[in-house]
Amino acid sequence: MADEANDSSRDLLDMAPVFALDAVTAEERREIAARLAEADPEVSERFDTEVREVHETLAAMSAGTATEPPPELRVRLLDLVHAELTTKTPAEKTHTEEPGEPEAPRVEDEHLPPPVSLDERRQARRRNFLLAAAAAVIVAIGGVVVAGQWQTTSEPGTSERVFAAEDVRTSSGELDGGGTATVVFSKEEDAGVLVMNNVAPPAEGSVYQMWLVGPEGMEPAGTMTPDDVAPSTTAVLEDISGATALAFSVEPTGGSTQPTAIFAQLPLD
Amino acid sequence: MLVVDTLALSGGNVPARLFPDERTEPMTGVGGHTDTLGELLERVARQDPTAFAELYDATRSRVFGMVLRVLRDPGYSEETTQEVYLQVWRSADRYDPRQGSALSWIITLAHRRAVDRVRSEQSGADRESHYGSTNVDAAFDSVSEEVTQRDDRRRVNECLGSLTELQRRSVELAYYRGFTYTEVAEELSSPLPTVKSRIRDGLKRLKNCLGVTVDG
Repeated sequence: MADEANDSSRDLLDMAPVFALDAVTAEERREIAARLAEADPEVSERFDTEVREVHETLAAMSAGTATEPPPELRVRLLDLVHAELTTKTPAEKTHTEEPGEPEAPRVEDEHLPPPVSLDERRQARRRNFLLAAAAAVIVAIGGVVVAGQWQTTSEPGTSERVFAAEDVRTSSGELDGGGTATVVFSKEEDAGVLVMNNVAPPAEGSVYQMWLVGPEGMEPAGTMTPDDVAPSTTAVLEDISGATALAFSVEPTGGSTQPTAIFAQLPLD
Repeated sequence: MLVVDTLALSGGNVPARLFPDERTEPMTGVGGHTDTLGELLERVARQDPTAFAELYDATRSRVFGMVLRVLRDPGYSEETTQEVYLQVWRSADRYDPRQGSALSWIITLAHRRAVDRVRSEQSGADRESHYGSTNVDAAFDSVSEEVTQRDDRRRVNECLGSLTELQRRSVELAYYRGFTYTEVAEELSSPLPTVKSRIRDGLKRLKNCLGVTVDG
Protein backbone atom coordinates (compact mmCIF):
# COMPACT_ATOMS: atom_id res chain seq x y z
CA MET A 1 0.00 0.00 0.00
CA ALA A 2 2.78 2.37 0.91
CA ASP A 3 4.44 1.65 -2.41
CA GLU A 4 1.23 2.35 -4.22
CA ALA A 5 0.90 5.67 -2.44
CA ASN A 6 4.49 6.48 -3.36
CA ASP A 7 3.88 5.61 -6.98
CA SER A 8 0.83 7.81 -6.99
CA SER A 9 2.76 10.71 -5.46
CA ARG A 10 5.55 10.25 -7.96
CA ASP A 11 3.05 10.24 -10.81
CA LEU A 12 1.53 13.40 -9.49
CA LEU A 13 4.88 15.14 -9.09
CA ASP A 14 5.83 13.96 -12.58
CA MET A 15 2.97 16.04 -13.87
CA ALA A 16 4.11 19.30 -12.27
CA PRO A 17 6.23 20.57 -15.22
CA VAL A 18 3.64 19.85 -17.91
CA PHE A 19 0.94 21.21 -15.64
CA ALA A 20 2.95 24.41 -15.20
CA LEU A 21 3.39 24.69 -18.98
CA ASP A 22 -0.38 24.36 -19.53
CA ALA A 23 0.50 21.26 -21.56
CA VAL A 24 -2.45 19.29 -20.18
CA THR A 25 -6.05 19.07 -21.27
CA ALA A 26 -8.75 20.76 -19.23
CA GLU A 27 -9.80 17.36 -17.95
CA GLU A 28 -6.26 16.46 -16.89
CA ARG A 29 -6.01 19.81 -15.15
CA ARG A 30 -9.13 19.10 -13.12
CA GLU A 31 -7.94 15.63 -12.31
CA ILE A 32 -4.58 16.95 -11.10
CA ALA A 33 -6.29 19.59 -8.97
CA ALA A 34 -8.49 16.91 -7.42
CA ARG A 35 -5.51 14.67 -6.69
CA LEU A 36 -3.59 17.55 -5.18
CA ALA A 37 -6.47 18.31 -2.86
CA GLU A 38 -6.31 14.72 -1.60
CA ALA A 39 -2.53 14.45 -1.57
CA ASP A 40 -0.20 14.50 1.37
CA PRO A 41 0.59 18.15 2.22
CA GLU A 42 4.27 17.49 1.67
CA VAL A 43 3.55 16.23 -1.84
CA SER A 44 1.32 19.13 -2.79
CA GLU A 45 3.92 21.54 -1.42
CA ARG A 46 6.61 19.97 -3.58
CA PHE A 47 4.25 20.12 -6.52
CA ASP A 48 3.56 23.81 -5.91
CA THR A 49 7.25 24.59 -5.54
CA GLU A 50 8.05 22.95 -8.84
CA VAL A 51 5.18 24.72 -10.62
CA ARG A 52 6.37 27.99 -9.16
CA GLU A 53 9.93 27.43 -10.39
CA VAL A 54 8.65 26.72 -13.87
CA HIS A 55 6.44 29.80 -13.84
CA GLU A 56 9.33 32.01 -12.77
CA THR A 57 11.45 30.49 -15.52
CA LEU A 58 8.75 31.17 -18.10
CA ALA A 59 8.39 34.74 -16.82
CA ALA A 60 12.13 35.18 -17.43
CA MET A 61 11.71 33.59 -20.86
CA SER A 62 9.14 36.23 -21.81
CA ALA A 63 11.98 38.71 -22.27
CA GLY A 64 12.95 36.61 -25.27
CA THR A 65 9.73 37.18 -27.14
CA ALA A 66 8.93 40.74 -26.00
CA THR A 67 7.02 42.66 -28.68
CA GLU A 68 5.25 46.00 -28.38
CA PRO A 69 1.47 45.76 -28.71
CA PRO A 70 -0.39 48.31 -30.86
CA PRO A 71 -0.75 51.59 -28.93
CA GLU A 72 -4.53 51.71 -29.24
CA LEU A 73 -4.73 48.71 -26.94
CA ARG A 74 -3.52 50.92 -24.11
CA VAL A 75 -6.17 53.54 -24.81
CA ARG A 76 -8.88 50.92 -24.95
CA LEU A 77 -7.82 49.20 -21.75
CA LEU A 78 -7.60 52.42 -19.79
CA ASP A 79 -11.01 53.41 -21.16
CA LEU A 80 -12.50 50.13 -20.04
CA VAL A 81 -10.93 50.34 -16.62
CA HIS A 82 -12.09 53.90 -16.07
CA ALA A 83 -15.53 52.96 -17.30
CA GLU A 84 -15.70 50.17 -14.75
CA LEU A 85 -14.57 52.48 -12.00
CA THR A 86 -17.16 55.11 -12.76
CA THR A 87 -19.86 52.44 -12.90
CA LYS A 88 -18.89 51.29 -9.45
CA THR A 89 -18.91 54.76 -7.87
CA PRO A 90 -21.91 56.61 -9.25
CA ALA A 91 -22.68 58.36 -5.96
CA GLU A 92 -20.66 61.55 -6.41
CA LYS A 93 -22.03 62.34 -9.82
CA THR A 94 -23.92 65.55 -10.25
CA HIS A 95 -27.20 64.24 -11.49
CA THR A 96 -29.72 62.49 -9.32
CA GLU A 97 -30.92 59.71 -11.53
CA GLU A 98 -29.73 56.19 -11.19
CA PRO A 99 -26.92 55.64 -13.62
CA GLY A 100 -28.26 52.26 -14.62
CA GLU A 101 -31.54 53.81 -15.66
CA PRO A 102 -31.10 55.58 -18.95
CA GLU A 103 -34.04 57.24 -20.57
CA ALA A 104 -36.31 54.75 -22.19
CA PRO A 105 -36.44 55.08 -25.95
CA ARG A 106 -39.50 57.04 -26.92
CA VAL A 107 -41.74 54.46 -28.37
CA GLU A 108 -44.18 56.98 -29.75
CA ASP A 109 -41.39 58.51 -31.79
CA GLU A 110 -40.07 55.39 -33.33
CA HIS A 111 -41.39 56.18 -36.80
CA LEU A 112 -39.95 59.67 -36.62
CA PRO A 113 -36.41 60.97 -36.60
CA PRO A 114 -34.93 61.39 -33.13
CA PRO A 115 -36.36 64.18 -31.03
CA VAL A 116 -35.68 67.83 -31.36
CA SER A 117 -33.38 70.22 -29.65
CA LEU A 118 -33.36 70.70 -25.94
CA ASP A 119 -33.31 73.45 -23.43
CA GLU A 120 -30.34 74.23 -21.24
CA ARG A 121 -31.38 72.04 -18.39
CA ARG A 122 -31.97 69.02 -20.53
CA GLN A 123 -28.74 69.76 -22.26
CA ALA A 124 -26.95 69.57 -18.92
CA ARG A 125 -28.72 66.37 -18.05
CA ARG A 126 -28.01 64.98 -21.46
CA ARG A 127 -24.38 65.61 -20.91
CA ASN A 128 -24.50 63.13 -18.11
CA PHE A 129 -26.23 60.69 -20.35
CA LEU A 130 -23.73 61.45 -23.00
CA LEU A 131 -21.18 60.28 -20.51
CA ALA A 132 -23.00 57.00 -20.16
CA ALA A 133 -20.86 55.31 -22.74
CA ALA A 134 -21.12 51.63 -23.15
CA ALA A 135 -17.79 49.91 -22.93
CA ALA A 136 -19.06 47.73 -25.73
CA VAL A 137 -18.82 50.70 -28.03
CA ILE A 138 -15.18 51.10 -27.18
CA VAL A 139 -14.66 47.45 -27.91
CA ALA A 140 -16.37 47.93 -31.23
CA ILE A 141 -14.02 50.77 -32.01
CA GLY A 142 -11.16 48.51 -31.15
CA GLY A 143 -12.42 45.99 -33.64
CA VAL A 144 -12.63 48.57 -36.35
CA VAL A 145 -9.16 49.79 -35.69
CA VAL A 146 -7.73 46.32 -35.51
CA ALA A 147 -9.24 45.41 -38.82
CA GLY A 148 -7.94 48.62 -40.33
CA GLN A 149 -4.52 48.17 -38.94
CA TRP A 150 -3.84 44.66 -40.07
CA GLN A 151 -5.33 45.05 -43.48
CA THR A 152 -3.51 48.21 -44.33
CA THR A 153 0.09 47.76 -45.26
CA SER A 154 0.80 51.22 -46.63
CA GLU A 155 0.69 54.44 -44.65
CA PRO A 156 -1.15 54.47 -41.37
CA GLY A 157 -4.85 55.25 -41.63
CA THR A 158 -6.58 58.08 -39.85
CA SER A 159 -7.89 55.84 -37.11
CA GLU A 160 -4.42 54.49 -36.41
CA ARG A 161 -2.98 57.98 -36.22
CA VAL A 162 -5.75 59.04 -33.87
CA PHE A 163 -5.35 56.07 -31.58
CA ALA A 164 -1.60 56.43 -31.51
CA ALA A 165 -1.73 60.15 -30.76
CA GLU A 166 -0.40 61.40 -27.45
CA ASP A 167 -3.51 63.48 -26.88
CA VAL A 168 -6.12 60.91 -27.91
CA ARG A 169 -9.46 61.37 -26.13
CA THR A 170 -12.87 59.79 -26.14
CA SER A 171 -16.28 61.41 -26.01
CA SER A 172 -19.34 59.26 -25.91
CA GLY A 173 -23.05 59.33 -25.34
CA GLU A 174 -26.42 57.69 -25.70
CA LEU A 175 -28.91 59.08 -28.16
CA ASP A 176 -32.53 59.70 -27.29
CA GLY A 177 -33.64 57.61 -30.22
CA GLY A 178 -31.59 54.70 -28.86
CA GLY A 179 -28.02 53.63 -29.44
CA THR A 180 -24.69 55.17 -28.63
CA ALA A 181 -22.25 57.43 -30.40
CA THR A 182 -18.58 57.62 -29.53
CA VAL A 183 -15.94 59.79 -31.03
CA VAL A 184 -12.26 59.08 -30.44
CA PHE A 185 -10.29 62.12 -31.44
CA SER A 186 -6.94 63.85 -31.37
CA LYS A 187 -6.50 67.58 -31.76
CA GLU A 188 -2.88 67.07 -32.70
CA GLU A 189 -3.83 64.74 -35.51
CA ASP A 190 -6.75 67.03 -36.34
CA ALA A 191 -8.99 64.01 -36.83
CA GLY A 192 -11.44 61.72 -35.11
CA VAL A 193 -13.20 58.42 -35.57
CA LEU A 194 -16.93 58.27 -34.93
CA VAL A 195 -18.59 54.99 -34.06
CA MET A 196 -22.34 54.68 -33.75
CA ASN A 197 -23.81 51.49 -32.33
CA ASN A 198 -27.45 50.47 -32.54
CA VAL A 199 -28.56 53.87 -33.73
CA ALA A 200 -31.77 53.73 -35.72
CA PRO A 201 -31.38 54.95 -39.31
CA PRO A 202 -33.03 58.25 -40.24
CA ALA A 203 -36.45 58.08 -41.85
CA GLU A 204 -36.64 57.72 -45.64
CA GLY A 205 -36.07 61.03 -47.32
CA SER A 206 -33.87 62.33 -44.52
CA VAL A 207 -30.26 62.02 -43.38
CA TYR A 208 -28.29 62.47 -40.21
CA GLN A 209 -25.92 65.35 -40.64
CA MET A 210 -22.84 65.92 -38.51
CA TRP A 211 -21.64 69.39 -37.57
CA LEU A 212 -18.43 70.64 -36.08
CA VAL A 213 -19.34 73.27 -33.53
CA GLY A 214 -16.74 76.01 -33.41
CA PRO A 215 -16.37 79.63 -32.37
CA GLU A 216 -17.67 80.70 -35.76
CA GLY A 217 -20.75 78.51 -35.70
CA MET A 218 -21.51 75.15 -37.25
CA GLU A 219 -19.51 73.59 -40.07
CA PRO A 220 -21.10 70.69 -41.96
CA ALA A 221 -19.07 67.49 -41.42
CA GLY A 222 -20.87 64.93 -43.53
CA THR A 223 -24.18 63.13 -43.77
CA MET A 224 -25.43 59.59 -43.26
CA THR A 225 -28.27 58.24 -45.33
CA PRO A 226 -30.62 55.53 -44.03
CA ASP A 227 -28.45 53.02 -45.91
CA ASP A 228 -25.28 54.30 -44.27
CA VAL A 229 -26.53 53.64 -40.76
CA ALA A 230 -25.86 50.01 -39.88
CA PRO A 231 -25.97 48.41 -36.42
CA SER A 232 -22.34 49.55 -36.16
CA THR A 233 -21.42 52.56 -38.25
CA THR A 234 -18.05 54.25 -38.39
CA ALA A 235 -16.98 57.50 -39.94
CA VAL A 236 -13.73 59.41 -40.06
CA LEU A 237 -13.80 63.10 -39.18
CA GLU A 238 -11.14 65.52 -40.36
CA ASP A 239 -10.31 69.13 -39.45
CA ILE A 240 -11.66 68.84 -35.94
CA SER A 241 -8.98 70.77 -34.08
CA GLY A 242 -10.94 74.03 -33.96
CA ALA A 243 -14.19 72.40 -32.87
CA THR A 244 -15.60 72.25 -29.36
CA ALA A 245 -18.31 69.70 -30.11
CA LEU A 246 -19.66 67.32 -32.71
CA ALA A 247 -23.39 67.85 -33.23
CA PHE A 248 -25.97 65.72 -35.02
CA SER A 249 -29.11 66.88 -36.78
CA VAL A 250 -31.79 65.45 -39.02
CA GLU A 251 -31.91 67.03 -42.46
CA PRO A 252 -33.59 66.37 -45.78
CA THR A 253 -31.72 64.12 -48.19
CA GLY A 254 -28.60 65.87 -49.40
CA GLY A 255 -28.05 67.74 -46.17
CA SER A 256 -28.35 71.40 -45.30
CA THR A 257 -26.01 74.33 -44.96
CA GLN A 258 -27.36 75.14 -41.50
CA PRO A 259 -28.68 72.60 -39.00
CA THR A 260 -32.43 72.38 -38.60
CA ALA A 261 -32.72 70.42 -35.39
CA ILE A 262 -29.71 69.34 -33.36
CA PHE A 263 -30.58 66.20 -31.43
CA ALA A 264 -27.25 65.29 -29.87
CA GLN A 265 -23.84 66.76 -29.16
CA LEU A 266 -20.58 65.15 -28.16
CA PRO A 267 -18.05 67.52 -26.58
CA LEU A 268 -14.65 67.66 -28.27
CA ASP A 269 -12.61 69.39 -25.61
CA MET B 1 -2.09 25.71 -4.62
CA LEU B 2 -0.99 27.56 -7.67
CA VAL B 3 -4.06 26.80 -9.68
CA VAL B 4 -5.18 30.12 -11.04
CA ASP B 5 -8.85 30.44 -11.68
CA THR B 6 -9.93 31.69 -15.02
CA LEU B 7 -12.49 34.38 -14.52
CA ALA B 8 -15.51 34.55 -16.69
CA LEU B 9 -15.12 37.95 -18.23
CA SER B 10 -18.16 39.79 -19.34
CA GLY B 11 -16.61 40.68 -22.64
CA GLY B 12 -16.80 44.37 -22.03
CA ASN B 13 -20.57 44.52 -21.96
CA VAL B 14 -20.60 46.25 -18.63
CA PRO B 15 -22.93 49.21 -18.58
CA ALA B 16 -20.46 51.95 -18.13
CA ARG B 17 -20.22 55.65 -17.81
CA LEU B 18 -17.47 57.67 -19.28
CA PHE B 19 -15.19 59.73 -17.17
CA PRO B 20 -13.04 62.77 -17.37
CA ASP B 21 -10.21 62.67 -19.81
CA GLU B 22 -7.29 61.92 -17.62
CA ARG B 23 -6.34 58.84 -19.57
CA THR B 24 -4.21 60.70 -22.00
CA GLU B 25 -0.94 60.14 -20.20
CA PRO B 26 1.94 60.00 -22.61
CA MET B 27 2.73 56.47 -23.66
CA THR B 28 6.11 56.34 -22.12
CA GLY B 29 7.72 53.52 -20.25
CA VAL B 30 7.85 53.22 -16.54
CA GLY B 31 10.78 55.46 -15.74
CA GLY B 32 10.36 57.79 -12.83
CA HIS B 33 8.45 55.62 -10.42
CA THR B 34 9.96 53.27 -7.96
CA ASP B 35 7.16 50.82 -7.34
CA THR B 36 7.96 47.23 -8.04
CA LEU B 37 5.54 45.19 -10.08
CA GLY B 38 4.28 43.57 -6.90
CA GLU B 39 3.56 46.94 -5.35
CA LEU B 40 1.82 48.07 -8.52
CA LEU B 41 -0.29 44.94 -8.48
CA GLU B 42 -1.30 45.66 -4.89
CA ARG B 43 -2.39 49.13 -5.93
CA VAL B 44 -4.25 47.67 -8.90
CA ALA B 45 -6.07 45.39 -6.46
CA ARG B 46 -7.29 48.59 -4.78
CA GLN B 47 -8.55 49.67 -8.23
CA ASP B 48 -5.94 52.38 -8.78
CA PRO B 49 -6.07 53.19 -12.52
CA THR B 50 -2.70 54.97 -12.50
CA ALA B 51 -1.05 51.87 -11.10
CA PHE B 52 -2.84 49.83 -13.74
CA ALA B 53 -1.42 52.02 -16.49
CA GLU B 54 2.08 51.72 -15.03
CA LEU B 55 1.75 47.99 -14.66
CA TYR B 56 0.56 47.72 -18.24
CA ASP B 57 3.46 49.77 -19.52
CA ALA B 58 5.95 47.75 -17.54
CA THR B 59 4.68 44.36 -18.73
CA ARG B 60 2.83 44.89 -22.02
CA SER B 61 5.62 43.89 -24.40
CA ARG B 62 6.33 40.70 -22.49
CA VAL B 63 2.67 39.72 -22.33
CA PHE B 64 1.82 40.65 -25.90
CA GLY B 65 4.99 39.08 -27.27
CA MET B 66 4.39 35.77 -25.53
CA VAL B 67 0.74 35.72 -26.59
CA LEU B 68 1.74 36.55 -30.16
CA ARG B 69 4.27 33.77 -30.12
CA VAL B 70 1.54 31.31 -29.14
CA LEU B 71 -1.30 32.64 -31.30
CA ARG B 72 0.74 33.90 -34.28
CA ASP B 73 -2.03 36.27 -35.25
CA PRO B 74 -1.76 39.94 -34.30
CA GLY B 75 -5.52 40.49 -34.10
CA TYR B 76 -6.18 37.49 -31.86
CA SER B 77 -3.15 38.41 -29.80
CA GLU B 78 -4.40 41.92 -29.22
CA GLU B 79 -7.80 40.63 -28.14
CA THR B 80 -6.28 38.07 -25.84
CA THR B 81 -3.90 40.62 -24.33
CA GLN B 82 -6.85 42.88 -23.65
CA GLU B 83 -8.67 40.05 -21.89
CA VAL B 84 -5.57 39.28 -19.87
CA TYR B 85 -5.24 42.82 -18.57
CA LEU B 86 -8.93 43.08 -17.77
CA GLN B 87 -8.52 39.90 -15.79
CA VAL B 88 -5.53 41.43 -14.03
CA TRP B 89 -7.60 44.50 -13.23
CA ARG B 90 -10.50 42.48 -11.90
CA SER B 91 -8.62 39.83 -9.98
CA ALA B 92 -5.42 41.51 -8.83
CA ASP B 93 -6.57 40.96 -5.26
CA ARG B 94 -6.01 37.26 -5.81
CA TYR B 95 -2.31 37.76 -6.35
CA ASP B 96 -0.36 36.34 -3.45
CA PRO B 97 3.28 37.48 -3.41
CA ARG B 98 4.23 34.44 -1.34
CA GLN B 99 3.38 32.27 -4.32
CA GLY B 100 5.61 33.93 -6.86
CA SER B 101 6.52 37.15 -8.62
CA ALA B 102 3.93 39.51 -10.02
CA LEU B 103 5.35 39.03 -13.50
CA SER B 104 5.02 35.28 -13.33
CA TRP B 105 1.44 35.67 -12.11
CA ILE B 106 0.58 37.83 -15.12
CA ILE B 107 2.48 35.71 -17.63
CA THR B 108 0.79 32.61 -16.26
CA LEU B 109 -2.66 34.15 -16.71
CA ALA B 110 -1.72 35.27 -20.19
CA HIS B 111 -0.35 31.92 -21.28
CA ARG B 112 -3.41 30.07 -20.05
CA ARG B 113 -5.65 32.38 -22.05
CA ALA B 114 -3.49 32.13 -25.15
CA VAL B 115 -3.48 28.35 -24.97
CA ASP B 116 -7.23 28.24 -24.47
CA ARG B 117 -7.60 30.43 -27.52
CA VAL B 118 -5.24 28.49 -29.74
CA ARG B 119 -6.87 25.21 -28.78
CA SER B 120 -10.32 26.55 -29.49
CA GLU B 121 -9.20 27.87 -32.88
CA GLN B 122 -7.88 24.64 -34.27
CA SER B 123 -7.14 21.03 -33.59
CA GLY B 124 -3.60 19.98 -32.80
CA ALA B 125 -3.16 18.44 -36.22
CA ASP B 126 -4.18 21.66 -37.95
CA ARG B 127 -1.86 23.61 -35.74
CA GLU B 128 1.08 21.56 -36.78
CA SER B 129 0.34 21.41 -40.49
CA HIS B 130 -0.50 25.08 -40.60
CA TYR B 131 2.23 26.41 -38.41
CA GLY B 132 4.72 23.60 -38.28
CA SER B 133 7.25 24.74 -40.81
CA THR B 134 10.43 26.48 -39.79
CA ASN B 135 9.75 29.50 -41.99
CA VAL B 136 7.00 30.53 -39.59
CA ASP B 137 9.66 30.81 -36.92
CA ALA B 138 11.75 32.87 -39.28
CA ALA B 139 8.82 35.17 -39.96
CA PHE B 140 8.22 35.51 -36.27
CA ASP B 141 11.84 36.40 -35.66
CA SER B 142 11.71 39.21 -38.17
CA VAL B 143 8.57 40.64 -36.55
CA SER B 144 10.32 40.62 -33.21
CA GLU B 145 13.42 42.34 -34.54
CA GLU B 146 11.93 45.60 -33.35
CA VAL B 147 12.16 44.49 -29.79
CA THR B 148 14.31 46.76 -27.75
CA GLN B 149 15.60 44.32 -25.21
CA ARG B 150 17.96 42.60 -27.59
CA ASP B 151 20.31 41.48 -24.90
CA ASP B 152 17.55 39.76 -22.98
CA ARG B 153 16.37 38.21 -26.16
CA ARG B 154 19.79 36.93 -27.07
CA ARG B 155 20.25 35.51 -23.62
CA VAL B 156 16.95 33.64 -23.74
CA ASN B 157 17.79 32.27 -27.17
CA GLU B 158 21.22 31.20 -25.97
CA CYS B 159 19.62 29.38 -23.09
CA LEU B 160 17.15 27.68 -25.40
CA GLY B 161 20.10 26.76 -27.56
CA SER B 162 21.82 25.12 -24.62
CA LEU B 163 19.06 22.50 -24.46
CA THR B 164 19.29 19.27 -26.37
CA GLU B 165 17.34 19.36 -29.60
CA LEU B 166 14.65 17.11 -28.22
CA GLN B 167 14.36 19.02 -24.95
CA ARG B 168 14.02 22.27 -26.83
CA ARG B 169 11.44 20.96 -29.27
CA SER B 170 9.40 19.40 -26.47
CA VAL B 171 9.36 22.61 -24.44
CA GLU B 172 8.61 24.79 -27.47
CA LEU B 173 5.78 22.61 -28.77
CA ALA B 174 4.22 22.57 -25.34
CA TYR B 175 4.72 26.17 -24.35
CA TYR B 176 4.67 28.10 -27.61
CA ARG B 177 2.31 25.94 -29.64
CA GLY B 178 -0.12 25.03 -26.90
CA PHE B 179 0.34 21.27 -27.43
CA THR B 180 -0.60 18.97 -24.60
CA TYR B 181 2.24 16.67 -23.59
CA THR B 182 0.31 13.83 -25.24
CA GLU B 183 0.30 15.76 -28.50
CA VAL B 184 4.00 16.50 -28.07
CA ALA B 185 4.64 12.77 -27.68
CA GLU B 186 2.70 12.02 -30.86
CA GLU B 187 4.42 14.78 -32.76
CA LEU B 188 7.88 13.61 -31.75
CA SER B 189 6.97 9.90 -31.86
CA SER B 190 8.23 9.47 -28.33
CA PRO B 191 6.78 7.66 -25.33
CA LEU B 192 4.94 9.83 -22.81
CA PRO B 193 7.40 9.30 -19.93
CA THR B 194 10.27 10.31 -22.19
CA VAL B 195 8.51 13.51 -23.17
CA LYS B 196 7.71 14.35 -19.58
CA SER B 197 11.30 13.89 -18.48
CA ARG B 198 12.64 15.87 -21.46
CA ILE B 199 10.34 18.73 -20.59
CA ARG B 200 11.32 18.60 -16.94
CA ASP B 201 15.05 18.44 -17.72
CA GLY B 202 14.76 21.16 -20.35
CA LEU B 203 12.97 23.50 -17.95
CA LYS B 204 15.56 22.85 -15.22
CA ARG B 205 18.32 23.70 -17.64
CA LEU B 206 16.55 26.89 -18.69
CA LYS B 207 16.04 27.87 -15.08
CA ASN B 208 19.72 27.48 -14.29
CA CYS B 209 20.85 29.14 -17.49
CA LEU B 210 18.61 32.16 -16.89
CA GLY B 211 19.65 32.37 -13.26
CA VAL B 212 16.09 32.15 -12.00
CA THR B 213 15.88 31.90 -8.25
CA VAL B 214 12.80 31.12 -6.23
CA ASP B 215 12.58 32.05 -2.58
CA GLY B 216 11.44 29.54 0.01
